[in-house]
Amino acid sequence: MIELRDVSKTVTSGSEPLTILHPLTLQIPHGQFVAIVGPSGSGKSTLLGLIAGLDAPSSGSVLIDTVDITKLDEDRLAKLRGEKIGFVFQFFHLIPSLTAYENVAVPMEIAGVTDVRSRTERLLEEVGLTGRSHHYPSQLSGGEQQRVALARALANNPPIVLADEPTGNLDSANGRHIMELLRSIHAARGTTIVLVTHDAELAAMADARLVLRDGRVTENTLIHREPRSHDERLPQPTP
Amino acid sequence: MMFVLRMAVRETRASWRRLLFFFVCIAVGVAAIVALRSVIQSVRGVVNSEARALVGADVVISTTRDWPDEARQKIERHLATAGAFARTETTETPTMVRPADPATRIAKVAELRAVQAMYPLYGTILLQGGQTYSHSLLEQHGALVRPELLSALQLKVGDQIAVGQTMFTIRGVIAREPGGGPGGFSLGPRIYIDYADLASTGLLSFGSRAQRLMFVRVPDSRVADLMTALRRDLRQDFINSRSYRSREDQVGRDFDRAEDYLSLVGLVIVILGGIAVSSVTRVFILQKIRSIAVLKCIGARSAQIITVYILQVLVLGLAGSLLGVAIARAAVAAIPLALASSSTSILTEAHYGVTWSAAAQGIAIGVLVSLLFSVVPLLQVRFIKPSLLLRDETARRRRDWLGMVALVVVSLALVAVTAWQASSLNVGIVVCAGFAGLAFVLQLAGRGLVAAVAPLANAKSFPLRHAVLHLSRPGNQTRVILLAVGLGAFFIVGIRSLQASLLEEFSIQSSDASPDMFLLDIQRGQAGAVRAFLGDPSHGSGPFQLIPVLRARVVGVSGREQNLNGADQVREKGVSLGREFTLTYRDHLEPNEKVIEGAFWNSPSTEPEVSVERQIAERARLHVGDTMQFDILGRTIEPRITSIRNVEWRESRNGGFVFVFRPGPLDQAPQTYVSPLKGPTDPVARGQFQHDLVERFPNVSVIDFHDVVERIRDVMSKVTLAITVVGGLVLFSGALILIGAVAMTKFQRVYEAAVFKTLGANTRAIARMLFFEYGVLGSLAGVIGSLGAVVLTWAVSRYALEIPWRIFVTEHVAGVILTAILVAAIGVFSSLDVLRNKPLATLRAE
Repeated sequence: MIELRDVSKTVTSGSEPLTILHPLTLQIPHGQFVAIVGPSGSGKSTLLGLIAGLDAPSSGSVLIDTVDITKLDEDRLAKLRGEKIGFVFQFFHLIPSLTAYENVAVPMEIAGVTDVRSRTERLLEEVGLTGRSHHYPSQLSGGEQQRVALARALANNPPIVLADEPTGNLDSANGRHIMELLRSIHAARGTTIVLVTHDAELAAMADARLVLRDGRVTENTLIHREPRSHDERLPQPTP
Repeated sequence: MMFVLRMAVRETRASWRRLLFFFVCIAVGVAAIVALRSVIQSVRGVVNSEARALVGADVVISTTRDWPDEARQKIERHLATAGAFARTETTETPTMVRPADPATRIAKVAELRAVQAMYPLYGTILLQGGQTYSHSLLEQHGALVRPELLSALQLKVGDQIAVGQTMFTIRGVIAREPGGGPGGFSLGPRIYIDYADLASTGLLSFGSRAQRLMFVRVPDSRVADLMTALRRDLRQDFINSRSYRSREDQVGRDFDRAEDYLSLVGLVIVILGGIAVSSVTRVFILQKIRSIAVLKCIGARSAQIITVYILQVLVLGLAGSLLGVAIARAAVAAIPLALASSSTSILTEAHYGVTWSAAAQGIAIGVLVSLLFSVVPLLQVRFIKPSLLLRDETARRRRDWLGMVALVVVSLALVAVTAWQASSLNVGIVVCAGFAGLAFVLQLAGRGLVAAVAPLANAKSFPLRHAVLHLSRPGNQTRVILLAVGLGAFFIVGIRSLQASLLEEFSIQSSDASPDMFLLDIQRGQAGAVRAFLGDPSHGSGPFQLIPVLRARVVGVSGREQNLNGADQVREKGVSLGREFTLTYRDHLEPNEKVIEGAFWNSPSTEPEVSVERQIAERARLHVGDTMQFDILGRTIEPRITSIRNVEWRESRNGGFVFVFRPGPLDQAPQTYVSPLKGPTDPVARGQFQHDLVERFPNVSVIDFHDVVERIRDVMSKVTLAITVVGGLVLFSGALILIGAVAMTKFQRVYEAAVFKTLGANTRAIARMLFFEYGVLGSLAGVIGSLGAVVLTWAVSRYALEIPWRIFVTEHVAGVILTAILVAAIGVFSSLDVLRNKPLATLRAE
């Protein structure tokens, strides 16, 4: 479960402090598919970054499965991300010097997984890129790159996937493809998915909606419910 | 660990091309270290194994006077005790030789060696054309000569050559002889005659500078004892002894020093490569910032990522070092081919190859320096936050204690590496401090010059404006290029200016009216005739002087600060008084002399008085009023010091004497004359003048300054060549760093060029922009090198050579222009794809 307690974020813009996110408390139970929506600058990506531990809140605490991640140092945070959180970015952020295969394999290698090859191949198959595994990011289309990024996010079969405008940089067909993949992952694995978007149509595909405006929550349709069982079809990482 | 290894392999695969040039720099430096060390070790091996042959004996005893009977008896006794089982004697003296044919009117100074049948005890005299040496070749007025003497005198084997008053037949040409190690300065080429014929030449007249040598073979176990005994008993008699071992030790020390200092040159290049590695690592990390953030986002720790890049540096450093060893191997293998032309040198006997120890040192240094220089910039990985994937933000820089500690450790490690290479902690510290200082000054100069051209950023010309702006763009390589290229230009321009300055100094000295020839060994009885000869205008010589000279040793001082009793004490404590001095007497000061203490006489006196040169007086703490004791051919004379003179040594051709006596007491002492004079200017007339002089006075030697200048020019051009090669290597490394820097920052240029093209700039404008940018950069590097060279020539001229400082505008201007052209050409050529790329593809990729 993801839990935010009075989390806020203030940055300095020029010499003035600027509050991007006003104090916010919320819980996202296991297995939820949540869409965070709102216009540009409303604090969506900031909120996502705080949940992933990519950024530290100015106040409050973020708990992932009861662990307060604001108290962890960089290296422990990295480890936690490696095990529990997959991240999909709007601009893909693949490592340009690695092939599609290698980009997907890296998180497993960091975690010390043994059967990297078969798992990587299966993940690439799952996102429909079997034939493209030895291509570099520069040789892939935007949609393909985002599918590699998605496979990478799923590498260690994390219970949580955070997606920051994953379709924002794609044409509508590719965007739809990514959304379908996200939905099928959610359905098949019971993964908690937090999706940031400003596209109402995409947001409608989620179970719940969190609407942000100027750093404040203006709508929250999150309901607390029992999590769906975590799908075991894919082998668990064996550290 | 698997992740780290795999990532290291992948990263190396992806970026080795971009990083290649920097590691080629490391390779060049490592190659220099390995090649120099290997060659010196090889030569040292042969010199050591040939030490006896080089000396020609186990022990050599020598004197510049006739063997005193008493000393000879002592020597005989000691040799008998030591069980000496073979012995031979030689006499060596510089003398004039000339063709016997009166039609050839030339004469040359040569180093005569008269040898007995047993000579040499070790080694052999190698003759050209496969002829075998035997003493019978010399008997009955035979001579063996060096080839250069043959060509100078236009003679061939079988011709007659006049030595002193006697004719000799040339019976062979010397290819190599014992006692002639590598290098060494001699007055002229060697000529061998029979010991028995020496007397007939009439060269051993009074005051000649002949050296008598006794070559001895003794059992190896007795060498040390014999040396001790000889040194103890013969010192008072001015007899020197040396053994092949002292030669070995001396040579060993010389080689150690040569090896250590020369390999510092290689180290400087490696460090330059290291600075480039440091700079490129910084840019590399800057370019990898997103990839690193992604890795952190998916669970990698900073330490893991740093390890990945350190491994990468290790691999590339090792590859560079191995390449360096390969280059060194090729270079060393080429040495025998290069030496083939001078096949007589002892250097050809060495087996040239890269030695294991040199290769190991080279590799260790290459890897270490790469590692040391990349550690500090790699620590920046710790500050890369994964959040930058969400939002572009620059993290606030905290004080980085770890970085500072790393910097200190790396600096200490560099000092250690340098000290190890130089085999001296002091040298290590001095070289590192010097390098840091130089780098700092070059950096400051670079910054100053970049600031100086900054106003050009407002220039009307669009390409020039942007070229100047680019010099200070973020992630620019301006400083490192200025350092590397500037240093190369500094070496080359500096050494060329010094050479030009020295040559000019000599040519000024030999072109004015000052004496340019020097006659030695004029006997007292010949003085009148020589004066008449020189005064005869038909011989074509200019003004001359006849100066009486006596050779003497200081054997005691009793004075205010200094009290020395006997030759032993003088040798031990008398600072620079221990050698043999040539002294004169006269009643006037020469124009280059000035009394700074006491008063100079102007009339003869029966009381002995001496005037001492200032530097010697200061060093040996001599004062006006002190009494000195001189041994002049066995007679002791005790003059009082009545004045201290300052001598302008640069203009010393008429009066370069440390000790000048008051006329009187020495007038009747045995003496010879020397004569500085202005010889004929025309080379043919000059040769003829020397010939005629020597024909009349066969014992008189002529030192021709024109020949000396030629020899100095020759030696200097070799030294200059060597240093230019070093400078060339540094400049080459600079060029590699430049190519590498262009490759590293190309992505930025490609993008900018795409934007400029979209905004309407054509390829020509962009090409001009690149040309200006690198042209300005090259000019700045050239100016930096040139300024450094000005400081270098000033300091060396003023303090080391003590010659007036001159600026050679041509050298400096040429240096700046050539550097600018070189840098501009390399810069533009390695940026060709910036010009070629289509803008749309580039902008899309961004």
